[in-house]
Amino acid sequence: MVQYALAIDTPPAAPRTLTATPTAVQHLWFCAYLPNLSLEASGPSKDARVVVAEQRGIYRVLLACPKASTAGIQAGQSANAALALLPTLRVEERSILREQQAVERLATWLEQFTSVVCIAGRDVLLLEIAGSLRLYGGLPCLRQQVAAGLEQQGFAAALAIAPTPLAATWLARAGRRACVREPANIARVLRGLPLTCLNWPVAVCDSIRAMGVTRIGDCLRLPREGFARRFGVQRLLELDRALGRLPDPRTSWRAPERFCADHEMTEEQSDREILLAICHELLLSLERFLLTRQLGTQQLRFSFFHLRAPATQIFLGGAEFERHAEHWSELLRIRFERVLLPEPVIAVRLQAGRCQALSAVSGRLALQAKPAGSGRRYSMSQLVERLAARVGYQAVQGVTTVAEHRPQRAWRLQDFPGQALPVIRYQLRRPLWMLPEPTRLSAEHGYPLLQGRLILLEGPERLETGWWDDDGIARDYYTAMSPQGLRLWVFRNRQHAPTWYLHGFFG
Amino acid sequence: MSQTRYAELHALSNFTFLRGASHPEELVAAAVALGYEALAITDECTLSGVVRAHTAAREHGLKQLIIGSELHLQSGRKLIVLAQNLAGYAALCELITKARRAAAKGRYALTRLAFENGLPGCLALWVPDQDYDLDVEDHWIRETFRDRLWIAVELLADGRQAEQLERLRVVGKRLKLPLVACGDVHMHRRSRRVLQDTLTAIREGVTIDNAGFALYPNGERHLRPLEVLQHIYPAELLAETVRIAAMIDFSLDELHYEYPDEIVPPGETAASYLRRLTEQGMQRRWPGGVSQKVTGLIEHELELIAELGYEPYFLTVYDIVAFARAQNILCQGRGSAANSAVCFCLGITEVDPARMAMLVERFISRERNEPPDIDVDFEHERREEVIQYIYAKYGRERAALAATVITYRPRSALRDVGKVLGLSDLQLGRLARSMQWWDGQRVDDSRVLEAGLDPKSPIIKRLLFLVRELLGFPRHLSQHVGGFVISNGPLSELVPVENAAKPERTVIQWEKTDLDDLGLLKVDVLGLGILTAIRRSFELLRTFDGHELTLATVPAEDPLVYDMICRGDTMGVFQIESRAQMAMLPRLRPRCYYDLVIEVAIIRPGPIQGDMVHPYLRRRNGEEAVDYPSEDVKGVLQRTLGVPIFQEQVMQLAVVAAGFTPGEADRLRRAMAAWKRRGGLGPFEEKLISGMRERGYAEEFARQIFRQIEGFGEYGFPESHSASFALLVYVSAWLKCHAPAAFTAALLNSQPMGFYSASQLTQDARQHGVEIRKVDINRSHWDCTLERNADELAALRLGLRQVKGLAEEAGRRAVEARPTGGYQSIQHLLEAAGLDRRELGALASAGALESLAGHRHQARWAVAGVEQPTPLFSSMDRYEAKPLLSKPTEGQNIVADYQSLGMTLERHPLHLLRHRLDRYRYHQAGCLVQLATGSSVSVAGLVITKQRPGTASGVTFVTLEDETGYINLVLWKQVAESYRPALLNARLLGVRGELQIEGEVIHVIARQLVDHTEMLGNLLLTAREFR
Repeated sequence: MVQYALAIDTPPAAPRTLTATPTAVQHLWFCAYLPNLSLEASGPSKDARVVVAEQRGIYRVLLACPKASTAGIQAGQSANAALALLPTLRVEERSILREQQAVERLATWLEQFTSVVCIAGRDVLLLEIAGSLRLYGGLPCLRQQVAAGLEQQGFAAALAIAPTPLAATWLARAGRRACVREPANIARVLRGLPLTCLNWPVAVCDSIRAMGVTRIGDCLRLPREGFARRFGVQRLLELDRALGRLPDPRTSWRAPERFCADHEMTEEQSDREILLAICHELLLSLERFLLTRQLGTQQLRFSFFHLRAPATQIFLGGAEFERHAEHWSELLRIRFERVLLPEPVIAVRLQAGRCQALSAVSGRLALQAKPAGSGRRYSMSQLVERLAARVGYQAVQGVTTVAEHRPQRAWRLQDFPGQALPVIRYQLRRPLWMLPEPTRLSAEHGYPLLQGRLILLEGPERLETGWWDDDGIARDYYTAMSPQGLRLWVFRNRQHAPTWYLHGFFG
Repeated sequence: MSQTRYAELHALSNFTFLRGASHPEELVAAAVALGYEALAITDECTLSGVVRAHTAAREHGLKQLIIGSELHLQSGRKLIVLAQNLAGYAALCELITKARRAAAKGRYALTRLAFENGLPGCLALWVPDQDYDLDVEDHWIRETFRDRLWIAVELLADGRQAEQLERLRVVGKRLKLPLVACGDVHMHRRSRRVLQDTLTAIREGVTIDNAGFALYPNGERHLRPLEVLQHIYPAELLAETVRIAAMIDFSLDELHYEYPDEIVPPGETAASYLRRLTEQGMQRRWPGGVSQKVTGLIEHELELIAELGYEPYFLTVYDIVAFARAQNILCQGRGSAANSAVCFCLGITEVDPARMAMLVERFISRERNEPPDIDVDFEHERREEVIQYIYAKYGRERAALAATVITYRPRSALRDVGKVLGLSDLQLGRLARSMQWWDGQRVDDSRVLEAGLDPKSPIIKRLLFLVRELLGFPRHLSQHVGGFVISNGPLSELVPVENAAKPERTVIQWEKTDLDDLGLLKVDVLGLGILTAIRRSFELLRTFDGHELTLATVPAEDPLVYDMICRGDTMGVFQIESRAQMAMLPRLRPRCYYDLVIEVAIIRPGPIQGDMVHPYLRRRNGEEAVDYPSEDVKGVLQRTLGVPIFQEQVMQLAVVAAGFTPGEADRLRRAMAAWKRRGGLGPFEEKLISGMRERGYAEEFARQIFRQIEGFGEYGFPESHSASFALLVYVSAWLKCHAPAAFTAALLNSQPMGFYSASQLTQDARQHGVEIRKVDINRSHWDCTLERNADELAALRLGLRQVKGLAEEAGRRAVEARPTGGYQSIQHLLEAAGLDRRELGALASAGALESLAGHRHQARWAVAGVEQPTPLFSSMDRYEAKPLLSKPTEGQNIVADYQSLGMTLERHPLHLLRHRLDRYRYHQAGCLVQLATGSSVSVAGLVITKQRPGTASGVTFVTLEDETGYINLVLWKQVAESYRPALLNARLLGVRGELQIEGEVIHVIARQLVDHTEMLGNLLLTAREFR
């Protein structure tokens, strides 16, 4: 016995039908789908180019620009095959981060049109525009403005409008420039769309397609219960949401926040203590801002505005993420001692740098800290911070050793010397005082001279290495004694005519 | 001054992978040039490089080569162990074997326990590390070696030489150990330090500028000149090296090999047993009595075998083959000795010597005194059983596979060096691609530019320099495909044995060529797919109509079979099914067995590059006179009409025409096999040409012969192998001709093998009148089977094995659990066979459930809805509404067939498109034969294969398929370039070009290409699905 059950798109039975109230709030969703996002995210370019991504060790083309496409380059080709077609091709690796930033930038820009902008997936932006239509002079006009704006920013977008967010998304993905305003029309419009615009997992789509179902319309004809059993209730509900039979609430996207606060004064002020007090107030509001968001920051910028001179900027940096006003106040006080303000100040602005979630400091440590006073001890990072605050941010650097045979490269400067120095693995004779450049020595009967003939004590230590850059060496190093009793580090160059050089002094 | 004598006792070659930076041959040559008394090759826990060093030492006249190994103990101690005599060598081999077998492939694990037997016959040098002293727990080293232990003093200009020497002197005095000078040699000359640094960085997996202290600070670790050494080391330490070398009395020449002795039953000698087996075989082979000629031949061969003492070898191979026969595993021997009458009697080969009319001396030669060579091919799928038999019979101690040394090739060298120099994968990919045919010598700047890199930049210069240096360096040991060494005593006394990648496999540390160089015997146990297919054909025929066949009883020299071969109708036939072979057959027109022997050997890169094909064809067709420069040459070349085709002929030519001794000819053969990789045909060229000139041959003839030898290269095919293959060619052709259904079923059941896909094989079978039946869950078995059709003929029922995504185990379960009346429903199938939804889905997609659930769409819906039975509700039939699902169109069925079965029994996809293609006036493949050669044609078809053989310069071959057959396209380089996008992407390709008909071979020389892929629309298939 064949029974035809309720198909998905059968209108709900009469008792369940809601009486349509003309006053009910009707939503209208505007979808911008960015099919070429991964290409466009890296900015405009005149060259033929492709974006590639690694798949099982092989770089494959993800997206090709029109120029590349005309050369026969298609998605799915290996990067090498693409290069075979077009040797001048620019090959870029896909950057998810860049894409995300681009979408967020666009979302921020779109906020001018409506208060509800959603990022729905990697490459889909949704705007709720029912309330904005009048403001922007009607639908065609709004649509025109969005399209033009996106294009100007270098993004090709497929736009579609529908009463539900999913319907709008699917229409956009299918490339239909549709504008559906009446919920009653959704089903009719969606029916013709291919299943691919649903963005369901490949396995599910394949499975559905294997039943001869290729369009959403075919899908909607399947029995509800059987469909849910085979493909999951979630997908059935998704269809319902798209058709407007179930609500589909969306949360609006919000740009990440950064702290920025001004304090304007009624009159010019040059008293340092007062200025510091004002700064402290600003720092306290920063602390409150950070505290409520469980954030901390590593960099601050104070701008002191003057009436007749450009603003004075003071940067403060920390070795760790920090939020306490006291901490920053203290650093600022130290720093202020060395700052010369050209003029009295009329306003102060405090801007915080990038914020990061801050793990709460355990209370126990605070209890153990010694009371402030003469016996106060600083940790390495505190010391560095205070030193930097006093002499300036760029003036403090650390030194670290580098695993490298060439003496001139065996150490380097390090920005924020937080960590301890790595232990030198080799028990090598190295002088603590090394000349920035080796000095050439004259020689006599093959022995180097420096205020007399040098006595070679130990060696040679032969160093032949560094051929991989343009700074390779081939030298025999010796410890030598000068007639004055100085212990020196000298070498003989093996590369050219043997020449002697002085490279350092032992303590 | 110049009386300084020195022996280097610590030298690593590049067989200490990614540490040593010189070939063993280079080290030996450098040691000779520097006047060393001796050189020890002491690679880290391996003896892989010693045979090469041994051969080089003989060539360069090194006074003494010492065999040893550097060993790192897990406690951190480092020892160099040197073999003092044969017993010591065996002990060292055993030690290395133990250490290697105790760890994963490529590693070793060594503790003091391994030294408990005291390593008799070995000397040891202890290489102290930074603290220059032995801990108390390491005093066992002193106890073990007593007066055979030295302290190695390695002064390498690290700035602390004086201190180091002093402290070691103190330690030596305290421990009462003598000191000896060593060089910790990693390279034969200083300039290799650049490569050595590179190897270090590759080993550490870092870029060179991040390698830091992993690199050596300088290049002192090379073979240093004596006058330099004498400034560095005290004289007594140098003298000690020579004293140690003098204590050593061992050479690899002392190794001797003994055949396993259990192959001879008690009470018999090897000779008597071989004679008895041969006589038994004669009665089986010639039940009607043996001709005088054959008896004479066999007597002659037995004499020769006895004279050279090869009975155990023949018996060893016989034993393996007898096992295979007992297990019903098809096999066939080939190689220099395999086609002897004795081997025919022993059943090692099925090639009747009477059929060959060849002289056995061609296969075993008294003068050459080389070990006989028998390779045995077994059914590919069952070779493992044979290998396990060998292991079981002789034990892992006495049987192991030979190694294959995997060396750096341009691509791998480029990748490894490039990474170390900090180039990105993408850049390297570009470079590798533009250097596909790089010969490893020069690189055109234009190629580098093409890859978007600057050839003038220092980094690229460094890269290319280093890649050249690295080429040919060994990277790791792999196992030889089937070369077994079997010995009477433990193998690990002969050569170290280590673990292979495959669990439960072991390989020796020597390669096949190393075994040859030392005269050790091996048996090649190889796998061959066609043997599986032949055995399966025989079985299918037996069960279908009781027809019993074996390799030997397939009717010989059937003219119908040769007619088919001459037509080039050989899809699926062993060896002669490639497009090149098919094209050649109508011209070569083989009419007898020996013609097939030539056919197998001639269409190969060797003879093609040596330009031997066309002269042979012309002579065979009587278009060119057959002449010989002398009677001697005639004797060698007569059977191939004066054109050298086989490897043996080249060697014989060298003997009779250029005066080579058989030994020299043999060395020429080996040089031929390797000259592309190692270089070095040079000395042979001179000798060959001058030799021929002296014997009155024209310069031109001599040059031509040499060119042919060069062209042969590593591809030269021996007649002895060809003769065995030809038999399999004939048998498979006979099956195709007389039992096409069984043959096709057997081929399908043996996939993947051969050149053609299931789709092509079934289409070919249908064209030969074989009925092919659909996969059906209620009729199919796992394998393809034969069913009797209305005309009592065999029809081929496709097996469940064709269904993609259905595991063998599940498929077999479904067949086994099938009730006599067949399955009644999908739920029934699910419960009885325990298939899961994915497996059912695979069956539904393949259309195999049609008898249960209707068309594909309905079957998929039904399958997606089944539920695994639960214990409580085992067979609950759920009431469910039936959906409205469209019936699949023919196009949908075709696509689904290809996707799920790799073939279709529906019409060809182009049938459905023909009306649209007609608008472009495309010819069908089947019509081309009626047109005149040279006429302009347009054709269109699905792209089946694209080939760009290295031998045909710049030509691309494309095969198209339409509903009437195949179209072979030839694309000259320029056409390929200008239509690159279409060539690369099109799945449906339209072509305008010129028709070329030569005999029965039809080509279209393409001039214009059009991409019609969009026409496929929903018929879109990937090329892979189509193949």
